Amino acid sequence: MMAELEVFSPVAKVVTAKTELAPRINDLKGKVIGLYRNSKKGGDVALERVAELLSQRYPGVQFRSYRGSQGLLDAVSAEDADRIVRETDAVIAAIGD
Amino acid sequence: MLELEKRGKPTVTWVTAPLKKDALLTARAFGALGFATAVVPREFAPVPPEEIREMVDAAFPGVIRGLTEPPEVVPQANPPPGILGYRGQDLLDCWEQMNAAFRKEGWSDGLPLVPPTAAAVEGMLGGTSLGPEQVIASLEPGFGLATVRAIAVNAVMAGCHPEHLPVLLTAVQCLAEPGINLRNKAMSTGPHAPLVLVNGPIAGEIGLNAKCCALGPGAVSYANTVIGRALRLIMMNVGHNYPLTSDMDAQGSPLKYSLCAAENEAASPWEAYHVEKGYAPDDSTVTVMFVYGLVDLGTISITAPETLADLYATAVTNAAAVGSGLWLTTHRVDPRYQTTEKEHNFFFLSPQEAAKFAGQGWQKDTLRQYLFNRARMPLKVLLKDRDPAAIVKENPGLAGLADHPETLMPVVEDPECYEIAVVGDIVGRGLYFPGGGGPVTRPVIR
Repeated sequence: MMAELEVFSPVAKVVTAKTELAPRINDLKGKVIGLYRNSKKGGDVALERVAELLSQRYPGVQFRSYRGSQGLLDAVSAEDADRIVRETDAVIAAIGD
Repeated sequence: MLELEKRGKPTVTWVTAPLKKDALLTARAFGALGFATAVVPREFAPVPPEEIREMVDAAFPGVIRGLTEPPEVVPQANPPPGILGYRGQDLLDCWEQMNAAFRKEGWSDGLPLVPPTAAAVEGMLGGTSLGPEQVIASLEPGFGLATVRAIAVNAVMAGCHPEHLPVLLTAVQCLAEPGINLRNKAMSTGPHAPLVLVNGPIAGEIGLNAKCCALGPGAVSYANTVIGRALRLIMMNVGHNYPLTSDMDAQGSPLKYSLCAAENEAASPWEAYHVEKGYAPDDSTVTVMFVYGLVDLGTISITAPETLADLYATAVTNAAAVGSGLWLTTHRVDPRYQTTEKEHNFFFLSPQEAAKFAGQGWQKDTLRQYLFNRARMPLKVLLKDRDPAAIVKENPGLAGLADHPETLMPVVEDPECYEIAVVGDIVGRGLYFPGGGGPVTRPVIR
């Protein structure tokens, strides 16, 4: 004799607004690249190195450095984000542990 | 970085291999089906500069791809059907299949689960006057909808009874308060466990234990255990906070299975915890605060308040604790909600322990102020690896402090960062919980 057990799924539905990712860039030549890091150590070294590599490969590329202004992880405020967007063409981020 | 993507700027982020899935799932939680990453073998923080440069060199093609090619898309997993069926030789066989399946899907805390059948869930919903589809919260990190039904399903799984549901609904409300910064606690590499403290008449009504073994184990703490367990299952299955995908706790913690107690208000020489927070004695409340761990205060034979408090201070002066001295250079903030946290620590003192203080005229604030004065460490120790220049940015009133690294500074920001409740029985001793952020207290919703 077979038995059957029916149960509710415990997994909740998710409702979130869709986020469109930005279009990518065809060519980094001559572009302004934002170098963003938070308070975690080593990010400055990583960004400095990637800037060297990008400079070797893409003539005329420029860089601007950023850190967030909010709290423990130097999170990005809306004002920070607006400023970064105004001043750059793309961003490389060193964040997290 | 998603904020920049939304504003039309392409980004790429270095991630370690173990955290890549975490990053992609986090992006999906915010509505992005992909996220540009460049994978490195390990985190930058603990490695020497030369090794960082080598990792950056190796990941350079990934950086270029991230900025110039469409990002990797995480396929949207089909949500599980609302009702799941398991067939077997008998119901026990079905139950074992259900548990095996739930473990495989990651929906289990690792312990056997009670089947959330329609009848069991219907019975659980009888514990509240709220409708099953009422939304209590959108629970981070996955923004799962914490409807009353979703909470009830996980409550059944944990072994809760209907009378436990109001406390659980309220605990979920506490988790959803912006001030508790749930995303930060749930997704951390640290062992953040939600400590749940219940006050007021409901504690006795539903059989919560405030005395011997209040934090377990044993059937005497059944209500405590299952409520705490249900909260973890809710964080996982409603908040989508699963190990290895968004819960990146380096070692884990047994406190994360369940950590719930009631205050022993009847035996306390002081006003109840919730009364101190502004509630009436006959209000029922739930307090949730994330803690990192638990330290025994084995002070049975010590009776002088100053001696006791000096001993407590030795537990608090742990520079390795994340919260210790954090206030000097930064705070946890969530820019989305403009919230800022202070780092609190929690004491559970047995009534006999509390009586040692109260008998000498010490109120809770007396103990708090004494601890604030005594639990201090040299600035240079509390700073750990943080930049001393950040002190004056975070605390303008401390200009010049960085020039005096031997200065003894309090571990916490102010005396109110010491939370004190009377829990336990039998002898005079206590428990100290180093905390992360601060507590949230809410009235019980029925």
